[in-house]
Amino acid sequence: MDSKQNAADSGSKRSTSRRDFLKLAGAGFLGALATTTLGMGVMETADGRKVEVWALSSGAIVHDPNRCVGCRRCEAACTVRNDGKGSAFISRIKVSRNLQYGKLGVSAAYAKANGQMGNFLVVADTCRQCSHPACGMACPVGAITADPTTGARVVDVDRCVSCGACQDACPWGIATLDPETKVSTKCMLCDGDPNCTKNCPTGAIKFYPWEEAEALLFGTDATSGATAVSGASA
Amino acid sequence: MTNTFGYTGKILRVDLTTGKIWTDDTMKYKDFIGGEGMSMKIMWDEVPAGTHPFSPENKIIFGSGPLCGTGVPCSGRTNITSLLPSNPDHSVSSSHMGGYFSVEMKYAGWDLIVVEGKSAKPVWLRIEDDKVWLEDGRWVWGKGMFDAMAMISSQMGKEAQIAMIGPAGENQLNLSVIRTGASHSAGGHGGVMGSKNLKAIAIKGTGSVKVAARPEELMALDKYMMTIIGANNQHVVPRFPHPWAEYTASGSRWTAKKGLYWGAANPPVETGECYPEDMQSVGLRTHKGFQDLGAVAEKYTVSMGGCAHCPIRCHSQVRIPQLEERYGIDPNVSNTCVGYSGPNGIMFKGTPDLPGQEKGEQSMISKTLGSHLADDYGVWCNYGQMGRDLNWTYTHGILKKVLPADEYASISWDLLEKGDPAFLIDFYDRVANKKGELWHIADGSYWIDKRWNLGEEYWAYDKNKLWSKLGYPVHHANESQSQVGALVSCFSNRDAQNHSHSNFGAAGVPLELLKQVAAEEFGTPDAIDGPMDYTPMNQGKANFVKWALTRTMLHNSLTLCNWMWPMAFSPLKSRNYRGDTALEAKFYSLVTGIPMTKEDLDRAATRTFTLFRALTIRSMGTADMRNKHDQTTSWVITATKDKNGKEIPQFTKGTDRMTQEDMEKGRGLVYKAFGWDEKTGAPTKATLEALGMPEVAAELAAKGLLPA
Ligand code: SF4
Ligand code: SF4
Ligand code: SF4
Repeated sequence: MDSKQNAADSGSKRSTSRRDFLKLAGAGFLGALATTTLGMGVMETADGRKVEVWALSSGAIVHDPNRCVGCRRCEAACTVRNDGKGSAFISRIKVSRNLQYGKLGVSAAYAKANGQMGNFLVVADTCRQCSHPACGMACPVGAITADPTTGARVVDVDRCVSCGACQDACPWGIATLDPETKVSTKCMLCDGDPNCTKNCPTGAIKFYPWEEAEALLFGTDATSGATAVSGASA
Repeated sequence: MTNTFGYTGKILRVDLTTGKIWTDDTMKYKDFIGGEGMSMKIMWDEVPAGTHPFSPENKIIFGSGPLCGTGVPCSGRTNITSLLPSNPDHSVSSSHMGGYFSVEMKYAGWDLIVVEGKSAKPVWLRIEDDKVWLEDGRWVWGKGMFDAMAMISSQMGKEAQIAMIGPAGENQLNLSVIRTGASHSAGGHGGVMGSKNLKAIAIKGTGSVKVAARPEELMALDKYMMTIIGANNQHVVPRFPHPWAEYTASGSRWTAKKGLYWGAANPPVETGECYPEDMQSVGLRTHKGFQDLGAVAEKYTVSMGGCAHCPIRCHSQVRIPQLEERYGIDPNVSNTCVGYSGPNGIMFKGTPDLPGQEKGEQSMISKTLGSHLADDYGVWCNYGQMGRDLNWTYTHGILKKVLPADEYASISWDLLEKGDPAFLIDFYDRVANKKGELWHIADGSYWIDKRWNLGEEYWAYDKNKLWSKLGYPVHHANESQSQVGALVSCFSNRDAQNHSHSNFGAAGVPLELLKQVAAEEFGTPDAIDGPMDYTPMNQGKANFVKWALTRTMLHNSLTLCNWMWPMAFSPLKSRNYRGDTALEAKFYSLVTGIPMTKEDLDRAATRTFTLFRALTIRSMGTADMRNKHDQTTSWVITATKDKNGKEIPQFTKGTDRMTQEDMEKGRGLVYKAFGWDEKTGAPTKATLEALGMPEVAAELAAKGLLPA
């Protein structure tokens, strides 16, 4: 499977590296990049299909439920830095909603399930900076693009039309419309200086370069997020 | 409503009698800062003296402060203020809980929640941002808190934060709690919610708390604060040697070390060396399983827990399979300090390990079982007093006398005698469900004495640890910073719940350094004594007392955790271990945009503490606080004896006892420091007016409660 086809299959976990992307862009494909500087573009393949190609993110943050003490300092750090206010709902790392009863919510077996009302395991949701980001691909106005420096999928707040398409599309429940500003929020890796990781008092969140992040987030022995839930509550 | 930073600007008001729900403006109370301060003002304005705590006219106020919700370290606690049922005069008092409730209040848009009246049938209050309504409470009434919280969460959503009472609160026990989350209890006011037929308040907030300063400014101050913070109780010196540490302190809660793990984590997490400059290990410094449950608990420890936006994590979260194997209860238990030792105090005959058990295993089982039961039923231990009261009344044959013979015979005293924790299961069921006569053990010491006639020797016995005839025990009193702890403990209507002075004294640095910092803060190194090596009262100690009382009031108003704040010391040798006692003001100014110096905030806290004093005067109907309120029990001012029965005179090495004369001098100096009348300890008209409370002066004058 070559990278061109791969790029068209948004479900695939493999992705186009930044180097490959630049090669693609420079190879004189039919069609042109919409905006090369934004690290993504729409191309036409030889057989005439339009495909979106995204430069990979430089990496992603990964959360370790085993070290997490549920303090939510990451959430406050995220929104104070990026929004000038404290909030859990629009934090781009989601701890609060899974804190007490885990990702799956209250069950009859809550006392043994994830969360502080159960086995104490706190599993956060984090943005995976997906190689083919559902949020960005769903956005009807192209307001979500890859940051040219970090590769993070970032929202251009001036272009965001508050439709919530990204929120509906994100499989991890990260993209969130701020109820106060009506603008989409999602992890932008803090311009390369993730504030949540610095403020975690147990070292439970770390930034990993893409290959490692991909393995941790999507690999068979993933330790974070959705994959950890079934393993942990088994 | 004006646009506000820090504050949401709104107070939620609920009248359960009429079902009316309305909004009030926070900023009209801003001189009282927030949380406890604003609650005191509302109690003064709206709840007349002589109101019974369980009557519909009483109000219960859930308070957060302007720093809560902004990520300021240790800013997650909730202040609860109401009339206190266990107090003889039903004076106003506050209880406090950690967790995430107040942050959710703020994110839903509410600084305070004031509940009054009484619902005709059980209800719970549902808050989803600005949508607020009452839900039928029939299905959750009578249920233990763990299940009832799950029921409400399944209805409302897993992210709801809930403050709830258990059967003990429903049954209006004086000693009952309001709890939130897995392990955060506020003792004393559960029955007030019960009397209102209010099972719970549940909140979901999707909003925010806005910060006035630029994000970089607050982030920079936060980072600075994180270099000053220590371990639990702001202990800045570790217990065990570390390559970086100049000192160690045997009582320190900085218990992390190489080879000490959260043993039940998968894989185990090592607490390690925790260099003070390393912000990513602050949450590992305090191994509370090891601290509270003993070395045996290491391998049962899953992780630590605590409150919103606090990096310290003072609750241990443990998994004890024995609880399920033996008693059929959930193995996952979380709590802290007296949350474990209080319920375990019921097992006053001890809990010796059984053959085949590890050292300390039975005690760990007893503590976790007791904590789970107390948390589910919602019984308050009165800061450990319930166990001592049971001990006294059992051992002195009082229970045998006052309990009907068949009730007495039906209690499994043999389990207690053997040290079998199963005794707790029967005990909490009887008490929480008001069975027979035994449940009156949860009336609180003053009322137990009235009912069962315990007599003077009960109050005078030092091991009963009763501090005041108002019925509350020692909570960092004479054993903690000499007269400072002793006097701090004389001004409250329940256990003093003051850690400003105890954290200061227990910071862990050598006495010489403590004295230097005391000189900087209180004007003289003599404000501090060495342990069990006390000197007579002096002005520096009076300044220290005032500082401790007002700082704690300030923290409960901002809301910051007084189990951590103030930041008087730091773990940094490079700072010569100095902390920063202006940090509260720096955070307040940045968050709210209202510039305040340390002195400004101290003055605001003095105002609030003086109002609290006025409330106590009004409920007691006397201005003579010195004689009617501020006295201790007799053991405090009686010399102890050494091993050979020889008296150890006060103010010599080896005793922490006080004298009446010295305490009276101390009271006078503290009254004076507050600008109160030195004879009675009541605020004067001039002081009340200077603090901007002429209406308080006028009402006290009209009632004849101003000092001459
Ligand atoms: S990296 Fe930055 S934007 Fe992303 S979750 Fe962390 S703090 Fe928020
Ligand atoms: S917001 Fe969701 S879809 Fe978008 S990059 Fe992050 S995880 Fe992927
Ligand atoms: S800051 Fe770290 S420990 Fe705290 S909730 Fe976030 S990930 Fe968990």
